[in-house]
Amino acid sequence: MTRFRGLGDAVLTALVPLGLLAGWQVASMTGALPARILPAPTAVFDAALELSASGALWENLAVSAARAMTGLVIGGGIGFVLGLVSGLSRLGERLLDPTLQMVRNVPHLALIPLVIIWFGVEEEARIFLVALGVFFPIYLNTHHGVRTVDPQLIEMARIYGMRGLRLFSRVILPGALPSILVGLRFALGVMWLTLIVAETIAASSGIGHMAMAAREFMRTDVIMLSILIYAALGKLADSATRFLERRWLSWNAAYAGGR
Amino acid sequence: MDGAGSEAASSAVEVTGLSKAFGARNVLHDINLAIPKGGFVSIVGRSGCGKSTLLRLLVGLDAPSSGRVDAGGAQARLVFQEPRLLPWASVGANVAVGLGRAPTASDAAVVQETLSLVGLADRAKAWPSTLSGGQRQRVALARALVSHPGFLALDEPFGALDALTRLDMQSLLETVWRRQGFTAVLVTHDVAEAVALGDRVVLIDDGRIALDVPVAVERPRMHGDPRLAAIEAQVLQRLFQA
Ligand SMILES: Nc1ncnc2c1ncn2[C@@H]1O[C@H](COP(=O)(O)OP(=O)(O)OP(=O)(O)O)[C@@H](O)[C@H]1O
Ligand SMILES: [Mg+2]
Repeated sequence: MTRFRGLGDAVLTALVPLGLLAGWQVASMTGALPARILPAPTAVFDAALELSASGALWENLAVSAARAMTGLVIGGGIGFVLGLVSGLSRLGERLLDPTLQMVRNVPHLALIPLVIIWFGVEEEARIFLVALGVFFPIYLNTHHGVRTVDPQLIEMARIYGMRGLRLFSRVILPGALPSILVGLRFALGVMWLTLIVAETIAASSGIGHMAMAAREFMRTDVIMLSILIYAALGKLADSATRFLERRWLSWNAAYAGGR
Repeated sequence: MDGAGSEAASSAVEVTGLSKAFGARNVLHDINLAIPKGGFVSIVGRSGCGKSTLLRLLVGLDAPSSGRVDAGGAQARLVFQEPRLLPWASVGANVAVGLGRAPTASDAAVVQETLSLVGLADRAKAWPSTLSGGQRQRVALARALVSHPGFLALDEPFGALDALTRLDMQSLLETVWRRQGFTAVLVTHDVAEAVALGDRVVLIDDGRIALDVPVAVERPRMHGDPRLAAIEAQVLQRLFQA
């Protein structure tokens, strides 16, 4: 009974997207939707087969993923460390927080012209932009997470003799983790967005470059494919944080439910 | 710590001329209190009269402005009104926090034993969020007891619990106290609770000891014992006289 209902639900959920897809395909086949505006879904699928057979798709995907990860590790790492410093020490907060709170209002993509002057259209420019973009959400949420750990728990831990590293690893870090993961999820969104912009404007490889190169030959099927790949990567990153939340926050009833 | 004195005469906790001021505000004035080893003293008083302050001085969390507290070197533990469990640590790991050091493999047995003492032997692996309020407070009690303290101070430990759970917790505390033999000081708003559990009930009013009555009723005590009711009435009367 419940399995049947689950199946029915799945059909209901899929009804609208499948209908749209079918309508799109029909419109393309009848010529109502010209291929130079939007290619048929089957054409996008063919492009995917073609590019993965030639290896171009995987090469570009690997390049984009490597850029994203490098930027995330550098920017996220610095943001995490500075967030801890300003969250744990009054002096650190006085020194860092006012400046960072001010600078975070600058949209990092506004720096593109400057970044191109500094680094040219080299790899460093794209990684710098991604790192800058992910830095703020990680910094802000780490700082906030550390600052809002229940002071009653910290007092309890101190009374029971916890100090230094043990206090940090047993009480402060786990207490800050939900907030840090919220920051990570934000950061991943910013990461892909920044990469799309950076690769579209100036790159000779990567998914964004693949889309821009396709534009010159009016290959809307390849452009569409790139868009779908970005969407899939974004979804993948989101699922990864959800996985971490379920794993690390299983103590928290709000996250344990999903299993 | 010297074993020369006779057991019966030794005071586990001796408070002499204790005063505490926060800035210009005097919260406790010249408190004198001697609690025999293994004794159970209940402290009652109006909100803000200085009960929590006294308790923090007794366990050495704060320093007195003058006077002294001598707990004979016994290890002191404090149970708060809230359980204050680490939500990300299992029940067993929370109890192990009470050891006051990084736990080793050989500590598992003593943690398990203490959990049995509070009736939670089968919940060692559970998350605190899956426990009821009363069960959480039992874990907090186990955490305080796991290191076998000589002196246990409790600050309204059952204040947040419903009336029935509270009665359960009172009899649990009495059982554990009789079995382990630590010296206990219980701060409570509930005069009936104070009388039911204490060897003595101390009433604090405006930072001074206003009343110190013995509860000479043998244990286990029955709910509704008229002698307990008489003492409760006496304390309440003094409490409302001010
Ligand atoms: N750290 C502090 N700094 C300044 N004043 C304090 C501090 N701690 C307590 N006080 C004051 O001391 C008085 C006694 O406080 P205490 O917490 O001991 O009361 P209490 O008897 O435990 O009250 P309650 O029954 O409401 O818990 C209060 O007036 C309070 O404002
Ligand atoms: Mg209090």
